[in-house]
Amino acid sequence: MGLGRSAAVVIGSFPLGESDRVVTFYTRDFGKVRGVAKASRRIRSRFSGALELFTLGELVFFDGGRSELVQVDHFDIVRPFAHLREDLERLGRAAWIVECVSRLTAEHDRHAALYGLLVRSLRALEGPTPPARVAVCFGVRGLDALGHRPRLDACTVCGRAYPFRHAALGAGGLVCEACARSETGLVLISGAAVTAFERLRLARWEEALAAPLGRSEVELGALLDLQMSRLIGQPTRSAKFLRELKRLEPTAGGRP
Amino acid sequence: MAYYPEPVARLIDALQRLPGIGPKTAQRLTFFLLKRPADEVRELSESLVAVKDKIVYCRTCFNVTDEDPCRLCADPARDARLLCVVEEPNDLLAMERTGEYRGRYHVLLGALSPLDGVGPDDLKVRELLARIEAGAVEEVILATNPNVEGEATALYLAKLLRPLVLRVTRIARGLPVGGDLEYADQVTLSKALEGRREIS
Repeated sequence: MGLGRSAAVVIGSFPLGESDRVVTFYTRDFGKVRGVAKASRRIRSRFSGALELFTLGELVFFDGGRSELVQVDHFDIVRPFAHLREDLERLGRAAWIVECVSRLTAEHDRHAALYGLLVRSLRALEGPTPPARVAVCFGVRGLDALGHRPRLDACTVCGRAYPFRHAALGAGGLVCEACARSETGLVLISGAAVTAFERLRLARWEEALAAPLGRSEVELGALLDLQMSRLIGQPTRSAKFLRELKRLEPTAGGRP
Repeated sequence: MAYYPEPVARLIDALQRLPGIGPKTAQRLTFFLLKRPADEVRELSESLVAVKDKIVYCRTCFNVTDEDPCRLCADPARDARLLCVVEEPNDLLAMERTGEYRGRYHVLLGALSPLDGVGPDDLKVRELLARIEAGAVEEVILATNPNVEGEATALYLAKLLRPLVLRVTRIARGLPVGGDLEYADQVTLSKALEGRREIS
């Protein structure tokens, strides 16, 4: 209770009343915090453009303790990540990352490692690394940080040690071909993808961003979205957006 | 709400579904309406029904209208070579209030929003393309909001429209009139710098 101050990233917002906004921040020191930013939708608001999605800044808020929502007092931009808004692929991947953080964390549950991963991922998305790779690296490490690292060294049903010929991925990790017959909701995972997953998890961040993965990158991307969707309890919205964008990508003639 | 008479409870429940209205405000509005003369309340209820019965989306521009095509689309004095794309009918009204614009409009009925899962299929994009392919549009002005969703929409449309139309322009972004430079954030200021113009 009282005045709080922390570095934070804007991970969502929606309008409230005539000109206010409820903004969701992921903060370094308090975890996820939702607050009311008074009059922030007015053109001459004191918040100006600071409360835009993905913005990293210094948040000052007042928590009266009587509501789930805090009062946003100040939000000073440290890094706006404005380039993410200039490329739809980067925007979609960044949205997937903040959606995972927003929907898989509880309010006021501090998690400095996840905060660090979020900022590192947004920073990488502004750099030369392909956006899909950044999302995969975030996904692998994000599952780890959230305590949902899938078990990849043995079958999660019978305990048989990996490798086995036709591995499938379930909510908790690998399932061998024998156990897979009685399980539902599994998807096949290649040996290369299992190796790539472990490699990305253990490598240093910069190495993970640069590691050659070949076709495993696309497979991992889809598997990670599936794991995140399982944890959230419904498909991620930003993945739907990315799929639609790809399908309707303008052709040379202009028509999607 | 068992302690309220049934019609009162129903009205409180209905009002609560409106955006920005919580249980307390719904309760306050209900009791306010109870105190008003019957004629006034009847007029309100008739207006609500009329809005749903008589108002449709214009099949050309998707603005809200009581006649299809809407007055703006049917007006021969409007410049058909200019087409301004906005997110919502309210944005169209804001543009009209300037009195500066004499072209036509296209309302998308939303903006791309990855976090809400709103993609191009959910907006009136195909209808916009059909209009441009059929008509004499020379310039499309993208007047979506200057936020993440509006920028994404403008970016997508610009990519799509460039091969089809002579000019695709974006409304300027920067400092509001009467604003104070000292209080502008770095994104707004850099956009204002980017869009600077020579003074004649």
